[in-house]
Amino acid sequence: MFITKKHISRRAALKGAGVALGLPLLDAMIPAGTALAQTAAVPKQRMGFFYLPHGAIMYNTAHGPVMDKWTPSGSGANFKLSPILASLEPYKKYVSSFGNLENAATAGSVHSFTPSTWLSCTRPDTGRTKAHMAVTLDQVISKIISQDTPLPSLEVSSETIVQTSAGNNSIYTTLSFRDADSPLPMETNPRKVFLQLFGEGDTPQERAAIGNQTNSILDLILEDTKKLQGRLGNGDRAVLDGYLESVREIERRAQLAEAKDVSALQIPTAPVGEQEDFAEQVKLMFDLIALAYQADLTRVVAYVMAAEGTNRTYNHIGIPDAFHPMSHHANDLERLNKLAKIQTWHVEKFAEFLAKMAATPDGQGTLLDHSVFMFGSNMSNSDLHNNYPEPNILVGGGNGKMKLGGQHLVLPEKTPIANLHLTLLQKLGVERDKFGDSTGIISEI
Amino acid sequence: MKRLLFASAVLVLMAYLSLFEIRAVGQTAGPDQHRAMLNTYCTGCHNNRAKIGGLALDGLDLQAAADSAETWEKVLRKLRGHQMPPPGSPQPPQKDLDSFAAWMENTLDTRANGPKAGHVPIQRMNRIEYAASVKALVGVDLKATDVLPQDGQVDGFDNIAAALTVSPAFLSQYITAARQVASLAIGNPNPRVGSTKYSIAANQNPDLPLPLGTRGGIRFNHNFPADGEYRITINDLGVGIYASTLENQSTLAIMIDDKTVFRGSIGGPEDWALHAKGPKGRAQIMERFSKIPVQVEAGVHDVVVTFIDRSNVESPHNIADPFFDALTLSCSCAPPGRRNRLIDGVVVAGPFNPTGVSRTASRDLIFVCNPNAKEESSCARQITENLAHRAFRRPVTADEVTRLTRFYEASRKNGGSFDQGIEQVVAAVLASPNFLYRGILGAPGGLALTDLELASRLSFFLWNTGPDEELLRLAEAGGLTKSGAMERQVRRMLSDPKASSLVTNFAMKWLNLDSLESVKPDAVLFPGFTDQLRRDFSTEVEAFLRSILLEDRNLVDLLTADHTFLNDRLARHYGLSGVSGTQFRRVTLTEKERFGLLGKAAVLMRTSYADRTSPVLRGAWVLDRLMGTPPTPPPPDTATDLSQKAGEQPKTVRARLEQHRDKASCNMCHGVIDPIGLPLENFDAIGAWRTVDSQAKASIDASTVLPNGVAIDGVVELRAQLADRPARFVTALTERLTMYAINRKLEYFDMPQVRAIVRAAEKANYKLSSLVLGIVNSDSFRMQAPE
Repeated sequence: MFITKKHISRRAALKGAGVALGLPLLDAMIPAGTALAQTAAVPKQRMGFFYLPHGAIMYNTAHGPVMDKWTPSGSGANFKLSPILASLEPYKKYVSSFGNLENAATAGSVHSFTPSTWLSCTRPDTGRTKAHMAVTLDQVISKIISQDTPLPSLEVSSETIVQTSAGNNSIYTTLSFRDADSPLPMETNPRKVFLQLFGEGDTPQERAAIGNQTNSILDLILEDTKKLQGRLGNGDRAVLDGYLESVREIERRAQLAEAKDVSALQIPTAPVGEQEDFAEQVKLMFDLIALAYQADLTRVVAYVMAAEGTNRTYNHIGIPDAFHPMSHHANDLERLNKLAKIQTWHVEKFAEFLAKMAATPDGQGTLLDHSVFMFGSNMSNSDLHNNYPEPNILVGGGNGKMKLGGQHLVLPEKTPIANLHLTLLQKLGVERDKFGDSTGIISEI
Repeated sequence: MKRLLFASAVLVLMAYLSLFEIRAVGQTAGPDQHRAMLNTYCTGCHNNRAKIGGLALDGLDLQAAADSAETWEKVLRKLRGHQMPPPGSPQPPQKDLDSFAAWMENTLDTRANGPKAGHVPIQRMNRIEYAASVKALVGVDLKATDVLPQDGQVDGFDNIAAALTVSPAFLSQYITAARQVASLAIGNPNPRVGSTKYSIAANQNPDLPLPLGTRGGIRFNHNFPADGEYRITINDLGVGIYASTLENQSTLAIMIDDKTVFRGSIGGPEDWALHAKGPKGRAQIMERFSKIPVQVEAGVHDVVVTFIDRSNVESPHNIADPFFDALTLSCSCAPPGRRNRLIDGVVVAGPFNPTGVSRTASRDLIFVCNPNAKEESSCARQITENLAHRAFRRPVTADEVTRLTRFYEASRKNGGSFDQGIEQVVAAVLASPNFLYRGILGAPGGLALTDLELASRLSFFLWNTGPDEELLRLAEAGGLTKSGAMERQVRRMLSDPKASSLVTNFAMKWLNLDSLESVKPDAVLFPGFTDQLRRDFSTEVEAFLRSILLEDRNLVDLLTADHTFLNDRLARHYGLSGVSGTQFRRVTLTEKERFGLLGKAAVLMRTSYADRTSPVLRGAWVLDRLMGTPPTPPPPDTATDLSQKAGEQPKTVRARLEQHRDKASCNMCHGVIDPIGLPLENFDAIGAWRTVDSQAKASIDASTVLPNGVAIDGVVELRAQLADRPARFVTALTERLTMYAINRKLEYFDMPQVRAIVRAAEKANYKLSSLVLGIVNSDSFRMQAPE
């Protein structure tokens, strides 16, 4: 419903772009020349969180370090990427990897609250029907760096996050909590993501009409809700307060979107919906995320690349086995190699996305220079459902605040992953000495 | 030595207990005997010092059991499921357990002193309810998943009030949906030309089978925005390089609302000759099936694009065959007569030269007056009042109507037509929190729900949407709480087609069968498995559930019924003969292993892994979904895999599960779970019958000793055991149905009511209607505790 100032109608763009706009759909979206985003002197910080389910193949299988496919080694000139991370070679100097990370908040989670605790580092109160945990890192960051964009944050997933294997609950399978009581849905339909980013309406007149209608509907909702609240008890009033907060948020975003000029962007037609082909679906989601950063429609993204507990198969890379059952690998070498292959594939897709970031000029550098992307999992050995050591890396220049050169940091044993989160917050200038169960910061980045 | 002492103590006690029972014949055992049983089997761990699992039973006074009802309800559940005492520990005799459970339940039921009802916070509709409400209100069909984000789920249900939060993403999509629905409902007399593609892969809806005598086609509902000409293009007819489809002449037909609007011939000598000319010739053939003009009136219409079936004489292969189905999807090498099928999909474009919007179902629902016959602004008011009244599920005030009518006025002021003004009102009503939310405040000065609140709760329970006119009028007149009124409404509503939601949205989710598409059987191990077969699994189980729930049969039939619904493909999968054709029909089975839910492929596949069966998943499913005694998930750092090691001699799943016996920590739960899954081993991971495990090259052993000590062999005996105590199954079902009805998780204080409902339902042969009546008359349903 957001109305951005796009001067070229999607259809016109489609015609203008000619054959380039065949398939794959969104390649042509990459704007030529300078990113539209930046006109100010100080580049804006971007952050992204890319979630991989079921851990990674590390040194803690029964085979020991021989079968470690994840952990890089060394630093600077001696920094060596692992087989799973090999496709990050071109961006090696932007990569920081961490050994010995632990997330105690997810202990005891058999997938059911593994995703949500990745960025909260707080144990959820699973005894209650109502969601109750803590605000997640991406949302804290969104409040700092992304309040002047049309979307404070974008939450997407390649597939549904409802875990059919674990009691059909979905509250703690999201990555993002806006506050302790508000889990955010992860959008799986690229079409809806597209509309979230670019809104509807092809002509200025259409967009103006939609904008006016939306404004008066929001006014009505505000008025009606207040009337309704007058008749309610405290608890119900609080429920509607949460709703009103969303209403105001939408109002605010609508205004920001209206002021946003993306007319230099070539926006193709909206994708039709969820892709049956998983590889296409993942690519499309990454393309949309890249576009959102490039057009500065948002600066914070959380993306579930494959759902925790998924039964998806990876036939496109020759793996007909379902991901989750196979992740219970029983130390079987064939299975371990297949899992590493899946993980490698996901890193490759991530690397393709990084290529777009690295190719987009932004102020004096590129978007990759001004971003920090966290890529990893909140599980370690999927056969054991355990949470130590967790495979996680950071990629990006961090707007000059990240140490460049590439490094694998062997942290003290059982370093809370919350220390990494706290470090990121401090780098953003947040004066805070605690996040989740943090015990300090990681000074080496 | 210690163990020996313990064992002999147990023996002595058991002797003592059995003596006691002889004495107690004809009367219920009293608290002393039950205390003795608890002391023998439970308090060794659950005492004030050890407090294992946070539970101490030694200090609890059985005479005042009702004061600790929350604890005792948990104890009952664990004992009933034989989850405690843990397998491997001495077990109390079944009759002592039964005696204790009966006494304790009776005590808790008769002396209940907990709260009468729980509190359900104000709740928004979920996306399924939203779609159903939009359909009822303005006649627009929406695919909920396409317009709104996923709702929070609890135990498989997405209508639990506390989990239905609102996010900016939700609200933004919700407002967009309101606007789009309004536009679709009113229709646009002069819409832009649009085109929609219906792809074969995404449009295999079992609810829309192809008409008899046709095949290889597609059927869908299309919303035609205005009266006018539409052009239908068939994307690919398989006229590729190896176009054996063209060897014989056949007929392609387009039908709209069952009326044939186009017939075109394809194939035969002329087309064969054209084809021989190469791409140009092929394009000429496709040209005939491109932009076929049809005149259609506005509204949603049923569209079929299909091949007319040739007679048996012409086509020896008129019976569907999964092998050839799979084959013809990818190439044209199937035998003649089965070659014609749409490969890609159909595009509907239009309208061209629209001539306005004539009557549609949506417009009939909205335009309750005619502005030509009545003064425009008062007609607009009347339309608004009618719509808001139905949408808000209560009478609306003049002030509310005035505020909504402003949307009409603003549009007219900007030069909009009457219709455009009403469209704005429709959008506003649909976006209003009065439509989205329903809250329960209760009648002043008490806990009881008001008539209107009761009507909404009842309607969302049975129909997934707000009350219809009859129910609304009744509630507004205060008539729903009058004697007999509720029962009349329940019976009326259960016989309405909208009660289907109890199958699709309650039963399928209760049984975890609503997302079968997320199960992906290993293509190498199960080459015969296709998406069509998966859809057949869903169709069968849904029809089966429908036949018992909505035909109001004994609910225990869910476990035991000898009828099912099959088409030829599924019958072949089950190894049954005598069923031909792709249409589903009711079949009476003689094969006992396929009776009831435990014989349905949907269940058996849902509870399997991609490459093998899982007695663990199956056992847990039975315990959780059918018996209401869910096992706890494995603790972290537990190796949970039983897979084969590479190079190892393949073992049966049963042999691999033996590992659970070796470790007490595994056996604690798996000693209960595994024995219930093992009798189902004759069904493979996609629910086909087998007597040999082809991977392990060993014959299937489906024998087991159940946690209650009974030795059984195979699915038939397992089913008999489950059905032997019908009240247990019906109680589990009632708990889930009540949760679904009142939009919250059940608490200990709901259990006396659940048991009362089950007891009453027993007298009515456990019909769904008796459960529903019990639920809607219970305090849990009719009352709302303060926050």
